[in-house]
Amino acid sequence: MVRWQRGLWWFLLPSFGLLTVVLLWPLGYALYLSFFDYYLGSSDRTFIGLGNYVELFTEARLWQSFWTTIIIAFGSVGLQFVVGFALALGIYKLKFSARLFTMLLFLPHIVTPVVAALFIKWILVSNFGLLDATLLGLDITPPDWLGDPIWAKISVILADAWIFTPLIMMVLYAALQTLDQSLIGAAQIDGANAWQILRHIIIPALIPAIIFTVSVRLMDAFRFFDTIYVLTGGGPGTATETITMYTYQLGFRMLDIGKASALGVITLVVVAIILLTINKVLTRIYRRGD
Amino acid sequence: MASVEIMNAVKAYGDQQVLHSINIHVEDGEFVVLVGPSGCGKSTLLRMIAGLEDITDGEILIDGKVVNTKHPKDRDIAMVFQSYALYPHMTVEENMAFSLKMQKRDKEEQKQKVAESARILDLTKLLDRYPRQLSGGQRQRVAMGRAIVRDPKVFLFDEPLSNLDAKLRVQMRTEIRSLHQKLKTTVVYVTHDQVEAMTMADKIVVMHDGYIEQIGSPLNLYDQPANLFVAGFMGSPSMNLIKGRMDRSDPHQFVTQNGKVIRLPCPVDIDPGRELVIGIRPEHFEVSDEGTEFEVEVIEPTGSEIQVILNLGGEKATAAFRDRLPLEPGDKVRLGMSENGLHFFDSQSGNRLSPDLYMKEVSPEH
Repeated sequence: MVRWQRGLWWFLLPSFGLLTVVLLWPLGYALYLSFFDYYLGSSDRTFIGLGNYVELFTEARLWQSFWTTIIIAFGSVGLQFVVGFALALGIYKLKFSARLFTMLLFLPHIVTPVVAALFIKWILVSNFGLLDATLLGLDITPPDWLGDPIWAKISVILADAWIFTPLIMMVLYAALQTLDQSLIGAAQIDGANAWQILRHIIIPALIPAIIFTVSVRLMDAFRFFDTIYVLTGGGPGTATETITMYTYQLGFRMLDIGKASALGVITLVVVAIILLTINKVLTRIYRRGD
Repeated sequence: MASVEIMNAVKAYGDQQVLHSINIHVEDGEFVVLVGPSGCGKSTLLRMIAGLEDITDGEILIDGKVVNTKHPKDRDIAMVFQSYALYPHMTVEENMAFSLKMQKRDKEEQKQKVAESARILDLTKLLDRYPRQLSGGQRQRVAMGRAIVRDPKVFLFDEPLSNLDAKLRVQMRTEIRSLHQKLKTTVVYVTHDQVEAMTMADKIVVMHDGYIEQIGSPLNLYDQPANLFVAGFMGSPSMNLIKGRMDRSDPHQFVTQNGKVIRLPCPVDIDPGRELVIGIRPEHFEVSDEGTEFEVEVIEPTGSEIQVILNLGGEKATAAFRDRLPLEPGDKVRLGMSENGLHFFDSQSGNRLSPDLYMKEVSPEH
């Protein structure tokens, strides 16, 4: 290191300070609170060690919200990925108007999720929603999109997919544009058909972008809150209650801050484990070379 | 092995025509180089032969069969790309075996063919490596290995040496050439480097702006360029081209547009009213007391020869000498030229005038 470079670490201080205040401090504080029996507004705070964790792990509601989260997160990210990838490939193959199509397809993502969820709610709401009104007009009796436990899950998944598919499409489309065209030419000459080119050339080349989008989206989906809050509020019953919805219920409805903090910590650990696993698996499958 | 026949091939993108009625015949086993400046359409033509670009009009035949609508994989060709196009997530062995795998050949045969090609190109030790672990020259060889594994009828090369450093380029040039001598497969090779074209080709096709300017053997093109473009493009340093006319009174004199006189080694019979371009290759100048006086501007020794940038009344010219002449910038030097190093071009059409048309019998008084 050259002499004048020695003091450069001082430049890290402002951002580190900011991170400490907005990220590390709340995280540490949540971890700290998770060891206490503490209700918002009450003055006494009793240290109970792992009590909150033990209580959470032994109740069925946590496990149910956990499975709901898994179903909704993987269902919605899976759907977004497949549709987004297909759209990206479609636009990539377009010889003209690709820009127009990307713009139109990107619209759902520009709308704030809460507003987008409100749109969707007015489409799905029973009897007088746009969808129901149309179906009833055709003499078809529609299911209760938001009131039936299974349909509610599907509706939530579709809503999230509608909002976030454009993001995946854009990232993968951008990644496709960096693809060396001669690789595709070479594969064509080597006798690969469209499917084989996709499988052997395009997908491996996109792995970094795929890891990025899938990770970011899964991380997001595990914290999935606003759309569910607006659409179903976690219901009917607890059919669409994800971990974050449950945390919200614990913290702000039941005011059980200690338990809510413990659940926050559990969520963090679970998401970290899932993401690390996915990264590892995807990387091992394809990124052997470049 | 096969011949390649390109007949009246046209390529257009919308209204824009980029290749105009191209006709080329590549003999079985011949090494043909398409050369021209960037944007001349040579790579497009190669991609049309490969099947990676549609043919707007005309026909392309490989081994006597029209391939216009055939898929690239059914044309029995192999192509080496400028970027090498090695599959980054596959090892050298997997890269080379990819086409065989796509053809569903059995594993034993794949292994054996790859091993055979690897041996020819000295890649055996690299088979387990990934492309990113190879040097530029090694990647280049893997790209060729991937091509020869398939034992194709025709090899197509798209500027395969442009990404290599100068020394490696010369070395790979020889390797490709010797590979061709070994395999005797038909080759169509695209480059913008005329030295590459000269050294490698059996036959050169010079292209410019979507047209063929001239087809011929390297020396034929060098000695008898059909027009100003070929004359200026082939050869390094390139041919000196100076505008002017013949002197009205003396058939030994060429008058440049700046009014300077160039003394010719022989009388020339061309109408003095005709606007001409005189062409002299740098190595055809020789020091001669009877020659034209030039002023020395810059001296560039290359080791094997010295290149002298000359000035003749504002016209620049380059001369190259094997002898290490004691010249300094600012010196005046009298230079003549050999008779067979003299070219005349019609200024209007750019076409070279055949010497038969203007060479006079040497008359007694001269």
